[in-house]
Parts: sequence; C-alpha cells; structure tokens
Amino acid sequence: MRRLQLACACLLGMWMAGAASAHHSMEGFDRDKNVTLVGTVKQFKWANPHSWIELEVPKENGAVETWNVEMTAPFVLIRAGWRATSLKPGDKVSVVGHPQKSGEPGALFVSVTLANGSTLTDRPPAAAPAAK
Amino acid sequence: MQHRFPMARVIVTASVLALSADAAMAQAPPPPQLGALAPSNIAKPRPKPPFDLTGTWLHAFARDNPFTFSPPPGFKLTPEAQVQYDAAKKARAEGKAYHDDIGQCWPAGLPVIMTRVWPIAMIQKPTAIFMVSGFMNSTRIIYLDGRKHSDPDLVIPSFNGESIGHWDGDSLVVDTTGFVDDHHWIDNGVPASNELHIVEKMRLIQDGAMLEIEYTASDPKNWVGEWKWTKRWKRVDDTDITEASCLPDLNEHMPSVTSKSVNVR
Repeated sequence: MRRLQLACACLLGMWMAGAASAHHSMEGFDRDKNVTLVGTVKQFKWANPHSWIELEVPKENGAVETWNVEMTAPFVLIRAGWRATSLKPGDKVSVVGHPQKSGEPGALFVSVTLANGSTLTDRPPAAAPAAK
Repeated sequence: MQHRFPMARVIVTASVLALSADAAMAQAPPPPQLGALAPSNIAKPRPKPPFDLTGTWLHAFARDNPFTFSPPPGFKLTPEAQVQYDAAKKARAEGKAYHDDIGQCWPAGLPVIMTRVWPIAMIQKPTAIFMVSGFMNSTRIIYLDGRKHSDPDLVIPSFNGESIGHWDGDSLVVDTTGFVDDHHWIDNGVPASNELHIVEKMRLIQDGAMLEIEYTASDPKNWVGEWKWTKRWKRVDDTDITEASCLPDLNEHMPSVTSKSVNVR
C-alpha cells in the first residue's frame, strides 16, 4: 500500500511538474540530456507562474557564466518540500537541468543539491496527507 | 454687407453640416442590461439548475484526456492556416517553438485556458458562472440570465470570448463567440480567429467528482467543418488558485521565452 501511495505521489508529481511547465512551449530544452551546473546562487525567484534560479557558474578558463534555470510554479514546488528560503544568494549548489538545444546558458530544472548534501526536486517525496 | 471672410463662412457651414450628419448616424445605445451580480437579477425566479460548479477544478490529465486541443484525424485547414501549421511543424522538428504567444504574456484564451494545467476556481450564481483560472487569473464569465449575445457591432473582442449558457436537461450548453483575431491559438500552429465559435456541453459525472465538457468548434477562417473534443476536470478540494501574472522581469530569466534562437515568429 505504501508503495502504491509513493507511486501515485510520483505520478502526481510528474504530472504536476511536467504539466505546470507546459502552459507555454518547452521545445527549446533537450529533455533527453542533463547538464550539471556547480556554482553559486545569484538569485532564487519564488514567483508565479514560474520560479527560477540565476546561477553563477565558473568556467574552466576562470570566467563566470550566468545560467538561468527555469522551474515550475511554487504550488508544485511546495508539494515537493520547497520554501521561499530554500535557496539564498551565495549558496553553493549543484543544479541538474535539461540544457537548451541552442547551447545558450539556460536549462529546465531537474534537481538541486545543497551544500549540506540534501537534494530537492520538483516531485513530491511522498504522498501528501489528505486535506481536512 | 459683404462678408469679410467668404471662404471661412463656407468652411463653417460645411463643418456644421458634417456634425449634423454625424449626429444623424449615431446609434441609440443598447437597452440597459442588469448586471449578473445585481441582487434584483439574482433574485428573479428561475428553475433550479441541475448542478452547481462552485469549487476548484483541475484538468484531469490522462492519456485519453490530453490538455491539447489537437486537430481531429483527417482535418482540413484553410490555405492561410495551413501555412502556419506547416511552419509550426517545421519549427518543432528543429527543436524550436513557433509563435509561443503564451510565453510572451499573451492570454491563452478559450479553449486552451481551460486545460492549461492550473486549477480553475468556479463560482456559480443563478445568473452567471465566474471562472478564474489560476493561470494569469484569466477570467471567464458564462451568463445564465437569459441575455443574448451582444450585437456584433458592440461586442468587445476577447481571448475568452462572450459565453452565453442555458440549461438543457442535466447539461449546461454554453455558446461562445466574440473572440480576438490575433495571438490566439487552438493548438500548436493552429490559429484562432474572430470567427471562432465554440459550443460546450457541460455535465457532471462520477457523482459530481468530475466535470466533463464536450466541445464543438468551428472557425471558417482557419479550418473546414466542426472539430470536437471531450475533456474532463476533477474537483480539487485541497487547492486554491493564486495570483499569477506574466511579468517582464520574470520573463527575462526564463530561457524558454528569451532565447531568440528557439522562438520562431
């Protein structure tokens, strides 16, 4: 039963995450690829209709590249355990995202690993309790 | 007495005549219509409706209930719409977005707004149903107070159109016209025009837990005949809609809408 609940929660989360990011075109992201961005949070925007992370990523040549990582809506993120304070400017993080097909420094959010080792995605970790 | 400025007199006379002609062409304003929330309108005796949509609803996405309003098998577009459709298809094949107007803050419009993945708050009064989408807080009003569609000369074009409903047995039949003529899409590459006409047959199923809407849509500027879809929404009692606005400074950080190499227009 517990496994079923988890499966349902995952399906709901997948739908919510996928669907909430689908109110406009996402053709520009390569969903078959992941890119890992290790850098420093410049801004984390907690807003409708989309949240986003602005991330400063050091390149091998020493230059810093600014990436915009597009996220889903806060109402989906809340169900995945996020808060407005989950990321703060200056946080050292590792972000996984689907990169832009064009090669521009932008990505569609998949997950973030914080300095303390914890990971956040946009999927609910477990079945949420029913509303009363 | 000789007029000192004969040409000026001619101009003044002509202007007076023109003003008189304008006045003669002015139309009488339409008769006043009681607002849908006027207490005296709400208080009018009416048959009890078969259901009350008041609540929050979310499109119940499933394989047999997609959020897209795709053209039906064997569809035929007008030559103008076919150009758009082919361009969108080519853009998709190249991994690009074609006229992603929603991403650029244009309203989704009917029917797309109904399935755009955000919950919709519905408030039913005897005279109207107010629908507010969580997505951009787009408002749609279905009038139930017996009014007719506005005169085409008076209707103010909108993305959600002008919806007039009437009860038919266990269903609500909603007729919507009065759409804008640009930046409004039915599906990727399928434009909607000011000749779009949508009829929805709404009913509750599964003991009221699910809303089903059968759509019939025509748009002679863009396709031949009528297209039909059936969609379902579930009640979501653990959700409220929130304010959601498309803002320039938010969009600046959205690669999906800022990338010029991806967005084809």
